[in-house]
Amino acid sequence: MQAISFLLIEDDLIETMKFKRVLDGLDAKHTISQAENGEEALRLLKSTKELPNVILLDLNMPKMNGIEFLTSLKNDAVLKYIPAIILSTSNNRKDILECYNIGIAGYIMKPLKYGEYKTKIENLVAYWSSNEFIKV
Amino acid sequence: MTSINPEILQRALLREKAARKQAEKILEDKSKELYLITEQLRKANKKLQSGLTEKTTELQGVFDNLVDAYVLMNLKGEIINLNGAAKELFGYDVSEEKINVIQLIYKDDFEYAINSFKLLISKGFFSDYIARVNTKNKGIRWVHINASIIKNSNQKPIGAQGIVKDITNQRAIETQNKKLLHDLEKSNEELGEYAHIVSHDLKSPLRSINALVNWLREDYENILDDSGLKNISLIEQTLEKMEHLINGILNYSSINNNTDLKNTAVDINSVLQDIISTIYIPSHTTVTALQQLPTIKGDKTRIQQLFQNIISNAVNYIDKEVGTVSVSFEENQSHYIFQIKDNGIGIEKEHFDKIFKIFQSLGNNKNSTGIGLSIVKKIVEAYEGEIWLKSEPKVGTSFFFSLKK
Repeated sequence: MQAISFLLIEDDLIETMKFKRVLDGLDAKHTISQAENGEEALRLLKSTKELPNVILLDLNMPKMNGIEFLTSLKNDAVLKYIPAIILSTSNNRKDILECYNIGIAGYIMKPLKYGEYKTKIENLVAYWSSNEFIKV
Repeated sequence: MTSINPEILQRALLREKAARKQAEKILEDKSKELYLITEQLRKANKKLQSGLTEKTTELQGVFDNLVDAYVLMNLKGEIINLNGAAKELFGYDVSEEKINVIQLIYKDDFEYAINSFKLLISKGFFSDYIARVNTKNKGIRWVHINASIIKNSNQKPIGAQGIVKDITNQRAIETQNKKLLHDLEKSNEELGEYAHIVSHDLKSPLRSINALVNWLREDYENILDDSGLKNISLIEQTLEKMEHLINGILNYSSINNNTDLKNTAVDINSVLQDIISTIYIPSHTTVTALQQLPTIKGDKTRIQQLFQNIISNAVNYIDKEVGTVSVSFEENQSHYIFQIKDNGIGIEKEHFDKIFKIFQSLGNNKNSTGIGLSIVKKIVEAYEGEIWLKSEPKVGTSFFFSLKK
C-alpha cells in the first residue's frame, strides 16, 4: 500500500489526536500536515512545494468555514484537483447537497464511539491507498 | 264736389267702434293669459328654487359630515373647497388663503403625483393613490386618495374632487405588524438553527470523551482492575445516553424547519417494513399490519419518525410473554386515522396529556429520553391531525392519530 500525505483541517485538538492515533496504528507511513482553519490551510497549500494527496476537513471551523474553504479550493486552477473529504458532525441535507455541489470526494459523519471512528478512518485510508493521484 | 252721405258716415263709425271693442277684448284676454302664465312660472320657479336649496343643503350636509376629507379643486389644482375633515387634516382654510394641491405634495412623491394627475385628466379618475402630503400643523401624513373629474351639463370638465383618507396610523400599525411577523419568523428560524448548532457543539465534547476513555482502556489495560474497566464502560453508556438525548432535541427542533411537508407518496407498508428492520424488536414480540396500509402524501423521513417513535415505544414497554404490536387504519373524507395497538404495561389515565410533553418520560426505561412522543405530536400537528389514546393499565395501549389527506 502506498503512503498518503494528508492535510487535516481541524480546530479541535482531540479530533486531531484521534486521527493521528488511527494513522499511527497503521503499517504504512502516512504523513499528516495540519491547519486549524480554512485560511491557514489555503496559506499552507499556496506556499508548499509538496501538495497533499487528500484533504480532510471539518465543516464547522472558526474564521473561514468549510464551505467557504471548499469554494476557494475549487476555484483554484491547481488546488481544485486535490480530493477533499468532509468530516462532519452534521448530516444536515442542505450541507451535504451544497458540499457535493461544490465538489467533494466524500462526506463522513463523525460517530460518537471511537471504535466506529477508527473503522471509518481505516477504511478511508485503505481506499485512498489504492487510488492513483495526479503527479506533478 | 260731392257731398258726404251722412248715413254712410254713421255706419262707418259704428263699424270702427265695434272693431276697437273687439281688439280691446282680445288684448284683455291676452293680458289675462299672460298674467296667468307669469303666475304659473313664478310658482314653478319658486318650487325649483326651494328644491335646489333643499338639494344644496343636503349636499352641503353630506360634504360637511363626511368622515373622510373631501377636496374640491379646479383644473389648475387650486383648491375651491375643503370639508371639515379636510380642513382638520390639512390645516388650511381656503376662504383665508389660496392653496394649490401642488403645495401639498411631499417632494419625494412628486413624480407619482404628477402621473396620477395625468391619469385623472385622461381617464377621468384615479384610485388607490397612496403617498405623503404636507400639512400645516400635522407634518407629513400618509394618505389614500380616490379622485374623479367633475363635468358640467355639456360634459366639459370643470374641476376635480378627491376623497382623502389619512392612513398614517394604519400604515404605522401595518409596518409594525409586518416587522413583528418578520422578527418572529426570524427568531423561530434562529431558534431552530440555534438548537441545531448547540446540539452539534454538545456532541463534539462527547466524542472527545469517548475517544479519551477508549485510550485509557487501550493504554492502561494492564493497570486497570475490573472496577476501573467497569467504570469506563459506565462512562461510555452515559455518553451514549447523552448522545441519544441530543439527537432527540435535534429531531424535535428540525420538524418545523422544513415547510415542504407534502411532497412525495409514502407507502406506509414499506415504512413499517423499514421500521421493523431498523429498530430492536425482542424475539418474543411481533409488529404486524392488520391490513394493507395506504400510501399517503408526505415527507418520508417524518412519517417514518412518527410511526417509529410510537412503535419503538410500544415495543419497549411490553411486559407480556408474547408481545404484539399491530398497525391498522381507517379513513374519512379528509383524514387517514391510524391505530397502533400494543399489549404492553398500559398508561394510567392521568398521564395521558403528560406523555406528549417534552422530557416527560414515565418509565425508567434506559432508552427513553422523553422526547419521542413530543416529536410524534409535533409531526401529527404539522399534518393538521390529532393524536389520542386509549389504554388500560396492565392490558395495553392503543395510540390513534389522524393525518390530513
